[in-house]
Amino acid sequence: MAKLLEVDGVHKRFGGIVATDNLSFTVEKGESLALIGPNGAGKTTIFSLIMGEIRQQEGAIRLKGEDISRLPTHRRIQRGIARTYQVPRPFADMDVAGNIRVGMMPDSLRQMLMRGPDLEAELEVALSVGFTEADLGRTPSTLSMGDLRKLELARTLATKPEIMLLDEVFAGLTVGEIAQISELLAKKRAEGMTFVIVSHDLRALEPLVDRATAMNFGRQIAEGSFADVMGDAEVRAAYLGE
Amino acid sequence: MGGMITQKSLIAWIVAWIAFAVFMLLLPQYVESGTLRLIISANFVAIFAMSWDFLSGKTGYISFGHPFLIGIGAYATAILNYRFHVPIGYSIPLAVVFTLVGGIVYFLPALRIKGTYFALVTLAFMELMYQFTQVIRPDLTGGTRGISGVQTMLVGARPNYYFTFLLMFGIAIVLWLLSRTRAGTALDAIAMNEEAVSGSGLSTTKLKLFAFLVSATVAGIGGAFYVHYQGSIAPRAIFEIDFVFKIIVSALIGGASTIVGPMLGAFFMSFLFDYLRPFLPGTERFFLFGVAALLLYVYQPKGIYQIVADLISGLRAKFAGEAGNGKAA
Repeated sequence: MAKLLEVDGVHKRFGGIVATDNLSFTVEKGESLALIGPNGAGKTTIFSLIMGEIRQQEGAIRLKGEDISRLPTHRRIQRGIARTYQVPRPFADMDVAGNIRVGMMPDSLRQMLMRGPDLEAELEVALSVGFTEADLGRTPSTLSMGDLRKLELARTLATKPEIMLLDEVFAGLTVGEIAQISELLAKKRAEGMTFVIVSHDLRALEPLVDRATAMNFGRQIAEGSFADVMGDAEVRAAYLGE
Repeated sequence: MGGMITQKSLIAWIVAWIAFAVFMLLLPQYVESGTLRLIISANFVAIFAMSWDFLSGKTGYISFGHPFLIGIGAYATAILNYRFHVPIGYSIPLAVVFTLVGGIVYFLPALRIKGTYFALVTLAFMELMYQFTQVIRPDLTGGTRGISGVQTMLVGARPNYYFTFLLMFGIAIVLWLLSRTRAGTALDAIAMNEEAVSGSGLSTTKLKLFAFLVSATVAGIGGAFYVHYQGSIAPRAIFEIDFVFKIIVSALIGGASTIVGPMLGAFFMSFLFDYLRPFLPGTERFFLFGVAALLLYVYQPKGIYQIVADLISGLRAKFAGEAGNGKAA
């Protein structure tokens, strides 16, 4: 299978703190990878590095074999990679349709000026994450945490990614909402979407992934099947202090 | 914001724009020239407030130094026309080009800083310009005294009224149309969450530059025509914090990011100011400026635009309700 995303020897220091230490992993097309580790392991940092929100000091990040390390965030997104955030960050004064609209916009001023929004496509994206047509006019302040996660997913999907990085998708959700989001992700996975998923909710995470990689203090400490990684002595020590 | 653009609301808007234009064009038949002079200056404030709104109201990059841009337009045409005898037909377009260059300079800090820091830097831009006009080449700028005796375009209140209204109206329509495109929506999104805009695959640099250039163009046009209406220019009259406040308060009172709001706000503030003149002849009127802004803010932070919008939807609901009741009875 073709390697879709390659993180190759990525090193990132914040002053004296090493956030990712010669970190490498790859994700194949259509695969779903769990990225696990205790708080402060560097999971969110690696997402920010992959998206170009911060830059690594050493190492390369490749998408479809091409080094994207020097590209700004929006160019990486245009190449088919997108992420969600631990804390959903919607456009607060825009309704659900408006939020999706921004996600769908082409990065061309001419097209943005000359062509209006594609309302049908907006509705389609909204429906695909479990919103109803009536939800299109709602503003984020009226949405539940579960709906905010859906909106975040919708806005991310609107950029037409080939690979999605999901950061703590289940945080702050009720059991019912977790089931809803899980079902949605399972559906996207069946459709061939590639995922890297960070979650502390290991029970919800397990059925959604093919493989897992564990990190601690910015280093990879285990890789393999989800069960193997969870059974790894170093992983157990990192999580449970055994 | 970001709502569906329905056919019905578009027609309502077009009707409102036409009604506004007809009202304003008929007005000189009924009011005296003093009022026309007041509206002329309100037209200029409206142009500046809309220019400010397209940049700051939309993207959230607060410009505290808008007179920097206005001043470039005003000084450029004044110097070209008065010192070098360039005809107005060329000096005004050239002044707008100069303002565009100024707009690019003004934009540079927005690449790195935002929020309060950006606002302070823009204030510094205005102060710098204030000093420059007095120190650098006073033989051109006229130094502290500025330039008087600049060629005026039209004579009399009425012709100036018609001209400035049509200028303001044209600018309003263009900015309003721009703000209703997807680009306008994206600029609004920048004010809400700039990271999420680049996280949507859009170049925020490109969008911001667009907003700055549109704003600078409008500021340049306004500044240039203002000089040729006034016939004079002085640094104290342009690079002045009271002038900044007049622009910003008009925009905020009217309703930031709506274009129409700042236009209404400029008229509201101009008339309020004039109405208060007999009672408060001095600078204490600026105090009431603040009070008016505060009161409106407490009542409706989204400004006059929202008050009018609520009123219309309230009336619509009432009439719909009555019609429904009539049917039921």
